[in-house]
Amino acid sequence: MGSASSVLTTHEIQVKIERRSRVIRTFKEELIRRLNLPFTPEDLHEDVSLLGSGLGLDSLDALEIVLCIEGCFQIKIPDQNVSVLRSINTVVDFVLLEQDRKGGGA
Amino acid sequence: MRRSPFQAQLAAGGAAFRERYGIEVVSHFADRPTEYAAVRDAVGLTDFSFVRTFRLPEEKGIDFLDGLLAGNVAKIRYGRLLHTFLADEHGHLLGDCYVANNDQEFVFLCESILPDGPLDALLQAAGAAEAGLTDLTADHGLLSLDGFKAWEVAKTLFGADVLGLPYLSIETYPFAGGSVRLFRAGKTSEFGYLLLMPRALAPALFDALQTEVGKRGGRLCGVDAHDDLRLEGRFFNIHSEGRRVQDPLVLGLQWMIDFDKESFHGAEALRQRRAAGLKRKVVGVAVEPGIEALEIGARICHGDRPVGEVVASCRSFVLDRRIGLAVFPVELAFSGLSFRLATPAGPAVQTLSMPPIMPKSLGVKLDEM
Repeated sequence: MGSASSVLTTHEIQVKIERRSRVIRTFKEELIRRLNLPFTPEDLHEDVSLLGSGLGLDSLDALEIVLCIEGCFQIKIPDQNVSVLRSINTVVDFVLLEQDRKGGGA
Repeated sequence: MRRSPFQAQLAAGGAAFRERYGIEVVSHFADRPTEYAAVRDAVGLTDFSFVRTFRLPEEKGIDFLDGLLAGNVAKIRYGRLLHTFLADEHGHLLGDCYVANNDQEFVFLCESILPDGPLDALLQAAGAAEAGLTDLTADHGLLSLDGFKAWEVAKTLFGADVLGLPYLSIETYPFAGGSVRLFRAGKTSEFGYLLLMPRALAPALFDALQTEVGKRGGRLCGVDAHDDLRLEGRFFNIHSEGRRVQDPLVLGLQWMIDFDKESFHGAEALRQRRAAGLKRKVVGVAVEPGIEALEIGARICHGDRPVGEVVASCRSFVLDRRIGLAVFPVELAFSGLSFRLATPAGPAVQTLSMPPIMPKSLGVKLDEM
């Protein structure tokens, strides 16, 4: 979690929202398509748990989510890194961080 | 006021009681950090007998529960649980529910914000008598066993078979000449089990559990610590944000709803709000360590414009700061932003991705032990 000591300007907020929205939309649409979920992207809250409670996906679905992330964003999830798959938001955080690390985050 | 079948043992354990919707619950036994740590590091035993418990014969139960609850009861596989909710005709939340498909019966657990009388009236009006609904609440006890080591206690009492139970499942085990329905569930993000037992078995099972919990460094816990654990694990809490926000769509509970189902309580109102598009949404928030001002009802501002309202709050002992949930307009309902609390000069508030912690239990694979 980053520092909350300062707040963002309206412009900074808009830039962050636009970037995050793109990743969220892409991931949700692909997740719904691959797993044939009976929801629209708007139905899926970004904090909904992917495995266990929430969407109730199983270990086979988890593999599909990993492939979904790799396919959509060309990013590999390290083996055993289950913390990334806790919610849509944690997946998106990971994707944004990796894009920043690779220098393609703008 | 309805009291727990474990009242004497809870009082002997030093329980501080309070009333909630005409039902006596245990707030706490010890201070909050102690009870919190018991669950995160060991195991906590909490009385959940405030939850209404019912059984229905399988054949008649499906139609009744399907017409009542937002989830699809007909799709629950044998031995599994459905987590869903009960709403009123306006699509506002009344109860956080589990339904278990268990060997010729459905077991229905309802953690409601209605007192017993109004909930009974609602169920009767929905056809409870014709469906063969039996209220188990008065002659059963319900205990919640939660924590990193909860599985060890469950295994000791009921055998290694419990390790194979998937999350959201039910199994019945013999105990002291009777039987206990064990639900693999929990809302703390650590291992969790709910144990439903006839009143005659309640004292002996309570004592056995308390002994095993104590051996592992655990302790009795109250509902206050559970509220904190739920929020930190981003489990929906009907008594907190559920009661304040009321709208399951704003709270992100669409996953509990089968929108394709013909009808259920509140279906029409929820379908209309879904079709109109979501206007507000709940998001996780946090303040800096040392700031205690994240109070429920507090406003969150962007510049001099109020944009959000805090609807749940607790101290995260893992993150060493206050965290919470706040409702924002959908165009601002994103993680990774920062605003100010209460006034344009107030302390900074950051929106964050939930759940914000990594529980120890997530790193343990019970089926490989």
